[in-house]
Amino acid sequence: MSATRSLATTGRGVPAAVAASSTDVPRRLSPTAERSGGRLALLLTQVRCELLSNLRVPEFLIGVVAIPVMLFAMFGVPNARFELPDGTRISTMMMPGFGAFGLLSLVIFAFGVDIAAERGRGWLRLMRATPAPGWAYFGGKLVTSVVVASVTLLALFAVGAFAAQVEMAPARWLRMFVVLLLGGMSLAPLGFALGFLARPRAASTIGNLVFLPLSFASGFFFPLNQLPQFLRDIAPYLPTYHYGQLAWRVTASPEMVEAYTGIAPGPAWVHVAWLLGTFVVFAALAVLGYRRQRSREAA
Amino acid sequence: MMIEMRGVTKHYGDVRALDGIDLDVAPGEVVAVLGPNGAGKTTAISVMLGLTRPTSGTVRCFGGDPARFEARSRVGVMLQESGVPAALRVCEVVGLFQRYYPYTLPLDELLARADLTAKRDAPVSTLSGGQRQRLYFALAIAGDPDLVFLDEPTVALDVSARRAFWEQVEGFAELGKTVLFSTHYLDEADAVARRVVVVDHGRVIAEGTPREIKRLVADTTVRFHADVDLERMRALPGVQRADLEDGFVVIATNEPEALLQRMFADGVAVRDLRVTDSDLEAAFVHLTNRGVHGAAIGAQASGARRVQA
Repeated sequence: MSATRSLATTGRGVPAAVAASSTDVPRRLSPTAERSGGRLALLLTQVRCELLSNLRVPEFLIGVVAIPVMLFAMFGVPNARFELPDGTRISTMMMPGFGAFGLLSLVIFAFGVDIAAERGRGWLRLMRATPAPGWAYFGGKLVTSVVVASVTLLALFAVGAFAAQVEMAPARWLRMFVVLLLGGMSLAPLGFALGFLARPRAASTIGNLVFLPLSFASGFFFPLNQLPQFLRDIAPYLPTYHYGQLAWRVTASPEMVEAYTGIAPGPAWVHVAWLLGTFVVFAALAVLGYRRQRSREAA
Repeated sequence: MMIEMRGVTKHYGDVRALDGIDLDVAPGEVVAVLGPNGAGKTTAISVMLGLTRPTSGTVRCFGGDPARFEARSRVGVMLQESGVPAALRVCEVVGLFQRYYPYTLPLDELLARADLTAKRDAPVSTLSGGQRQRLYFALAIAGDPDLVFLDEPTVALDVSARRAFWEQVEGFAELGKTVLFSTHYLDEADAVARRVVVVDHGRVIAEGTPREIKRLVADTTVRFHADVDLERMRALPGVQRADLEDGFVVIATNEPEALLQRMFADGVAVRDLRVTDSDLEAAFVHLTNRGVHGAAIGAQASGARRVQA
């Protein structure tokens, strides 16, 4: 264990006799062996590899960055001239919707579909045969998606500020960023659960079946009051709806959020509780799926 | 001992993938686990790695649980299917695996040991089959392991790729490392290993040096049309089996010259004579005492032998 713990010592300084704890064969290092990096180096390398392998696939960036930004540009910009009663532009209300849509698709695809694919290819099994801790893999995915999510949000904000006449105080932009990012990450277990429970070949289809209807029924594309009544009735039972409500509340007063969505937002803690509950339930499901996968392989 | 397996069984429902395996691997050994597809080789390696729990029996790696960190950090492995993220470059994937282990070898050395120096910056998706297997080998040795498992590493490789691959493995074994690999090619076991463990039906059916194992098997199959006494054929030196199949006399032997000389001396009128290398199934037929169970497997194995011959 000591070898992984020491972050500082790198280079050729290999101790003459490495402790062979509970082993009956002494470690036999090659003359050129060197200490590997520590945990931080591991996490950074994992993140770098995740980022590179995602960024080199154009479909990925198009799906999670370009599409939400493009949709916002198409629908948000023309709606900048419409205003809510208090003068809040409709484009200002649409921006968080498309942001939430982008981050939802990110967690579903970067976590769900990716993990299912890596599971299916046997890549996870090979990783399991190494001494690498499980958190390295998940940590790498999480950090990577925070980076990509930030890119999505910044691109969206740029379109909002420069093309769709979204005007907010700097502190409000920042709050919008934080709420969308944290809310999106609270949905990450949704992706993890999909990644470990879905059959690898079905994951992409299931991912689309989950995130498109969820985005639609949560009012990310069109305000809820333009949707059929039955969708408006079920919306409050969708975690993503509460994600949206939290984001809209950053840009406008509860009255204006109601004016836009057609549903009065609850107190912030209700929406936060919904997201936390979703996080816990799906994290449990994901852990269950992860364990099931391991015991299935070991069985 | 690097590995100690005692009475290991693994059952999948009614299927006995492993049916009581005992195996010891000492430091510095290069061991081949030889057997036809479905013999239990992959399951055995999976159990040795601690990825699969045995139904009964014990497995110890470096004197303890193979799944514990101390064991994992001293073991390297090539599994049969492990799709590397295709968009990454060779150096990036190897660099990642270097971080997984407490100790590692310099990147340049790893690439050189896997003969991938020229492919350092190549995306994984552009590698040939042989290069891809060598990349997996680089990943297997990234932690400077004391013990390396290679599960059928040369399946689907052509002759030259196979030869190149084994050269790299032998180079690593020369550091005093222990290597255990599975194969269904007798010639590979013969050329690379110092000890061969023959597995079939989840059991160890023979064990010894490659020379000892080769003496046990009939490496040639002779087929012809003729009127001969099968009992007399079976009595000839080196003959393991003599049967009538579809009107052909089929003789498995490791001394085909003696057989043919005898027949010609006896003046037997031989037609449609064919002499071929045995596939693994035929080679071990008297050891395993079971029939042919899959023509495809046999074709693969005999292809391999022809390649070496």
